[in-house]
Amino acid sequence: MKKRLYLELENCIGCRSCLAACTQCGGHEERNRNYVYDVNPLVNRQTMPLMCLHCVNPACARSCPAQAIQIHETGAVLSALVEKCIGCQNCTIACPYGIPKFDTEQNLMYKCDLCIDRTKDGSPPMCASVCPSNTLQWLTDEEIEAKQKQFNLDNGKWVTSMPYLEGETNVRVNLPGILQGVTKLF
Amino acid sequence: MQRDKFFKEIENVRHPNETLVKTHCSYCGMQCGMNLRVNTKTNKIIGVEPRYDWPVTVGKMCPKGVTAYQQPNHDDRILKPLIRDDASLKGAKEGFREATWDEAYDLIVKNFQQLQHDYGKDSLSVYSGVSMTNEKCYLTGKFARVGLQTRYIDYNGRFCMASAAGGFMRSFGVDRGSTLPWTDLHETDCLFIAGSNTAECHPTSMFRVWAVQERGGYLIVADPRETPIARRADVHLDLRPGTDLALANGILNLLIKNGHVDEDFVNNHTNGFEETKELVKEFTPEYTSELTGVAPEKIIRAAEIYGKAPNAIVMFARGVEQQVKGVDNVSGYTNMALVTGKIGRPKAGVATFTGQGNGQGGREHGQKADALPGYRKIANPEHVKAVAKVWGIEPEEMPKEGVSAYEMFGLMEQKVIRGLYLLCSNPAVSAPNLNYVREQLKNLDFMVCADFYLSESAEFADVILPTTTWSEDEGTVTNLEGRCIKINKAQEPLGESKPDWQIHVELCERLGRGKYFSHLKTAKDVSDEFRLASKGGYADYYGITWDKIEKQDGVFWPCKDENDPGTPHMFLDKKFYHPDGKAKICALPYRPPAEEPDEKYPLRLTTGRVVYHYLSGNQTRRINFLRDMCPEPYVEVHPETAEKYNIKHEEFVRLYTRRGEAEYKVKITEAIRKDTVFVPYHFGDDKSINLLTIGALDPMSRMPEFKACAAQIEKLELKKVQ
Repeated sequence: MKKRLYLELENCIGCRSCLAACTQCGGHEERNRNYVYDVNPLVNRQTMPLMCLHCVNPACARSCPAQAIQIHETGAVLSALVEKCIGCQNCTIACPYGIPKFDTEQNLMYKCDLCIDRTKDGSPPMCASVCPSNTLQWLTDEEIEAKQKQFNLDNGKWVTSMPYLEGETNVRVNLPGILQGVTKLF
Repeated sequence: MQRDKFFKEIENVRHPNETLVKTHCSYCGMQCGMNLRVNTKTNKIIGVEPRYDWPVTVGKMCPKGVTAYQQPNHDDRILKPLIRDDASLKGAKEGFREATWDEAYDLIVKNFQQLQHDYGKDSLSVYSGVSMTNEKCYLTGKFARVGLQTRYIDYNGRFCMASAAGGFMRSFGVDRGSTLPWTDLHETDCLFIAGSNTAECHPTSMFRVWAVQERGGYLIVADPRETPIARRADVHLDLRPGTDLALANGILNLLIKNGHVDEDFVNNHTNGFEETKELVKEFTPEYTSELTGVAPEKIIRAAEIYGKAPNAIVMFARGVEQQVKGVDNVSGYTNMALVTGKIGRPKAGVATFTGQGNGQGGREHGQKADALPGYRKIANPEHVKAVAKVWGIEPEEMPKEGVSAYEMFGLMEQKVIRGLYLLCSNPAVSAPNLNYVREQLKNLDFMVCADFYLSESAEFADVILPTTTWSEDEGTVTNLEGRCIKINKAQEPLGESKPDWQIHVELCERLGRGKYFSHLKTAKDVSDEFRLASKGGYADYYGITWDKIEKQDGVFWPCKDENDPGTPHMFLDKKFYHPDGKAKICALPYRPPAEEPDEKYPLRLTTGRVVYHYLSGNQTRRINFLRDMCPEPYVEVHPETAEKYNIKHEEFVRLYTRRGEAEYKVKITEAIRKDTVFVPYHFGDDKSINLLTIGALDPMSRMPEFKACAAQIEKLELKKVQ
């Protein structure tokens, strides 16, 4: 059963477990490939994780002159192939979310590969495995659909971005506002 | 064990040439389940895998948990005993030389015996901690009272859990940190969380907290800071530090006035209602608002939500406990559950977030100055008799009650205590009023420290004994629910390090007390004796075997015999542990903090944690990821306050109180009250905020008031920074 990374941004508590967990994934060489932003650092310290959204038609791969960025059959957009990457950094400029990073020492781009060694077999990526606040979840399409129904707003302005932001993505994001439509128990 | 909605069958990823060892995190009271990845060729821990099969945390971990595996093989480990020959160097990192265990033991025995010969048995003291297994905690108590024969033993739980323990004891007659399992949290209708920065201190509770709101339930948070949970709360009671009791009384008054009293429950199962009702009458929303600084409408709304909730859980942590009236605060909030009858059934009750890994178990097994294993009391001759029998001593040989952790430093000053055996604790960072505490450590005649890193406190020692980390030994701990769980061994002890229990046994043999200790050859031997010693006590662990823990995903105490499955929910039979079986609703007059702001010190200083560090930071400050995320302390200041003092973001300021001063980088944030500043306490040396905190103690729990004292802030001139 296909599962997807699903982000419920409002849940983020800024603990950066996802960053710590990312360093633990095989092949990540103890470098994290995801980020947590302070949305309004001097006010109430709201944070949000920024993960690769694994676009269906990724700008990073489209812009790569060397075809170094491969798309796995699961939809995961992989890190640049070492033997192909020419270090031009087109991908880092092209990505609207600022995900691909550049290792100047190795002259090589690296980015989230959705823990492909785990997710290809159905295991959740490390970030979603550990996320203590359920900001990052690993769900089936049915579960995501159920979420969408549960939180459908009655004001006619669906503030969440599902199914996608700019272009179609394999990762689903739910922007803040999720609790607006919740009916209180009492 | 019942699986809840968060539980998913997920197979762990297995890497070639590795085994996974099921265990639990080395840090806070959540004790999140984790698998340690162990290389089968080198037998070394090399990484971590989530433990999806653990029902409490289902694979979730905070950044401390994810990186905890880096602790055992860290370069900073102390691998051999260290001896300081020149006592004048005490308090510095330098001046230690490596020694053999025999040499270290001989030196300790010689000095301990000399001190006891010259000044009496009670000239020695043991200062312990609760980040270690029940077995080690238990044996530390026996080590002090039977091995060293001293009355002076206490532990750092006085800085962590003592007020919750005191409050529960007074209200319920028993102290189990949570009256219900954590797997109930998300099923309740209202969470009332006071003085807990849950998102940073117990992050792996958060998916359950958010789930309450997702279901349409309510979240009420009482905290001076707009923490991540306060930010999303339905009501945020932004009270002044140190005024919790007024708030609790104010809410209780409204609950009674608005008809939310469960009269059957109050009449049949509690005492003290009428008296309390009278006392809280004066705490009208307006008067409560005057004392606490919280708007009256917020207090009214919070009381309405809690009162109407079919099920609700009142939870609290150090924010309310680390005050001179911590015990009263705990009882004050507990009153809310008792008056409304929201206790003694699933999905409703009272719980405290345990700070230290074994904060619960460690206080039940005889490390407290006044307590013996099984939560028995030294003052009770029957209790002494029961434990003396297990230990093989005469009841009259049992040393009398000692003093609390902070008070031990007072006895050091008076030269009543001259020798110290310190383990599993770092008071040179974690105690209040540090200038004084450090001076007392320096003036000791002889000090031993058992640790696996050179902590700030170890720098004061004459001898340092290298101990194992949590992953190099086995045993049990009791998490914040009261669930006894098993810690498993993943690798052999590094270097010449030894588990604390083994050091206790070997030292006692050399001190001529071997006949009481020599039979303890393994951690399992200690466990068996500890179960027996707790048998019949309030905290009865007799029926908790390692097999049962494995089969049931942990066992909740009390568990009286092998057929008893344990007690996940307390008081289901509405029987409390006071002699008449009733709980006590406490009438508690409000008292202000020990030190109120004045002209010279116009601000309130409060302290707390960040998500990246654990306690004094001795362990987490050494882990690269955690240190990079939070390398230094800072002071949170409200923008309006900053403007008043002409301070800008990331500038340096000097913060001072009547006890000391220190310099901090400023973090300007609206998340703090205008009259309050906040500094995290995980840092040592001249960065420790405990140089400034006050040593005022709660009269019952003897817990210091870390959470409120009067302070002043001063902009640092540029030249001073340079």
